[in-house]
Amino acid sequence: MTGNPYQSHDARILEVKDLTPREKLFTLRFIDPEINESFTFKPGQFVIVDVRGFGEFPISLCSSPTRKGYIQLCIRKVGRMTKFVHKMKEGDVVGIRGPYGNGFPMENMEGSNLILVAGGLGMAPLRSVLWYTLDTGKYEHVWLLYGTKAYEDILFRDEIIHLLKHGETMNCTVKMAYEIESPSCIYLERGFSERVCRGVVTDLFRGESFDIENSYALICGPPIMYRFVIRELLNRKLSPGRIYMTLERRMRCGVGKCGHCVVGTSVSMKYICRDGPVFTYWDALSTRGLI
Amino acid sequence: MRYVKLPSENFGEFFNFLQRLGPTYGPVKEGKTHHFREVKGVSEMDLNYTRTMLPPKKFFVRPRERLFRLENGWWKEEDGERPFVLFGVHACDIHGLKILDKVYLSDPVDPYYSKRRQNAFIVGISCMPDEYCFCKSLGTHFAMDGFDLFLHELPDGWLVRIGSVRGHEVAWENEKLFEEVTDEDLRHFKEFEEKRAKAFQKELPQEGLADMLDLAYNSPVWKKYAEKCLACGNCNMVCPTCRCYEVCDRWVDAYSSVRERRYDSCFMESHGIVAGGHNFRPTRLDRFRHRYYCKSYFDPSSGFNCVGCGRCDEFCPAKIEHVKVLEEVRGSLR
Repeated sequence: MTGNPYQSHDARILEVKDLTPREKLFTLRFIDPEINESFTFKPGQFVIVDVRGFGEFPISLCSSPTRKGYIQLCIRKVGRMTKFVHKMKEGDVVGIRGPYGNGFPMENMEGSNLILVAGGLGMAPLRSVLWYTLDTGKYEHVWLLYGTKAYEDILFRDEIIHLLKHGETMNCTVKMAYEIESPSCIYLERGFSERVCRGVVTDLFRGESFDIENSYALICGPPIMYRFVIRELLNRKLSPGRIYMTLERRMRCGVGKCGHCVVGTSVSMKYICRDGPVFTYWDALSTRGLI
Repeated sequence: MRYVKLPSENFGEFFNFLQRLGPTYGPVKEGKTHHFREVKGVSEMDLNYTRTMLPPKKFFVRPRERLFRLENGWWKEEDGERPFVLFGVHACDIHGLKILDKVYLSDPVDPYYSKRRQNAFIVGISCMPDEYCFCKSLGTHFAMDGFDLFLHELPDGWLVRIGSVRGHEVAWENEKLFEEVTDEDLRHFKEFEEKRAKAFQKELPQEGLADMLDLAYNSPVWKKYAEKCLACGNCNMVCPTCRCYEVCDRWVDAYSSVRERRYDSCFMESHGIVAGGHNFRPTRLDRFRHRYYCKSYFDPSSGFNCVGCGRCDEFCPAKIEHVKVLEEVRGSLR
């Protein structure tokens, strides 16, 4: 039925790829060719996946709107629903509704430097931004600072290693920090000694000078990461209005009705699903409970 | 606004006409409390009531409702909504519905809510406050819109305010039941309103409230009351503006399942929990404070998210009083 915002559209799984022991990359295409053609989104937006008879869950889009005809979702096996989805195979059908949320203001940032800071699964929505910047070529320089636990946990490992090798030719600098040492990590570190190190994501800021006047920071990671990354950026005098973060909350409806993702106090209430999930640090300063 | 008079002797006949519009729900007394129930005649109702336990939101946002039915892997939409009459709704509850409208009718429109809203014929009724009511201080003690007809009690009948085209049409069809409003009726109306205004015992001063509460985020008063609170979620259920819902899929048999939504409460630990187990409101203090902030949120276009109906006070098993908590929190700043 048209006009029902809770009604999802059928999408077929084209490909399932193991990224890590916990995460899989699902490539999907809407069965209705018209929807497949018209479906577009902004980096940072999310969709709600509908597994008929079992439930729904929200998930970030990790492909770029510049690449039409399919969407990609990076799904971590973490709960009942995602465990179920991990069992699905190529050819299976799920429902998709969305895209929801505001996304990153990519057009406003054209011509600037972008500092992408990702922690763990936070790489998924930022991959959408990364691809978008590389595909459009409308941005000055892009840094990707990526903090991960171990070599096995590196999401989109092939793409990251490719960018470590060839990123500079595309105006893109990739830096990576890992926490758990392993032979593969040491090998990587030896190969890219200036850009790969053992430590946390904030260590990657060391020795890097950004043109603060012309830069935006885009952050996504676990809740604990924001405080430290933001402190690093504020120390470099990056304006709170130029720091974008994408946040996670429980989202049931995606359209600002069910009330689970509401944050704030008596002076400012926000729905993460409708007003976010992308917020500036200024929003966080003026809305309690945001981060 | 158009005003007409409904004499007492015509009340029964008028009510009988309303029943032709669809099932009619009115306030019925059961035990110590009132409820909106389907009624077949005037005698079943108790119009001299202060508040029902569940507000009329239950007719629009159902405690549990089916969104879809899954058959052989395809979603089928549930249907079967019919016009109905909601008789005897107080001004605060009409304001409550307007707050729900703001959420459910904003883009994208919730089709279930919207259909029921269109199907409803709402007849408001005047009331006298009790010790829990503080709607006057929030400006929700009088409804200017959001109803089809509004009845104000007069010694010999009802002064009827007509608030919509549908209300007008109904009055038109029953022209013979209505009379013109006389000067005496207006005098009675004014007297009643003045008497009512004096009867309020509780008030929530609005001046600077939103900012004061925001500043008092770390006030020990929140903690004091959070310890008293039983986190039962009663206040959420009876609140005319609480609207959080949870969605679940349920198998009916091996071949079909339904997707349902039901009331949720921000006092439940699961309210802010995300996949992986991280909880954004882990303690009772966080959840208690969140509800008070949600109710006290000041929207420049429509005011507070609270209509002062007093249900949360009356039905709180821990006897926590909404106004008292907010006053104390504000006071803790001094």
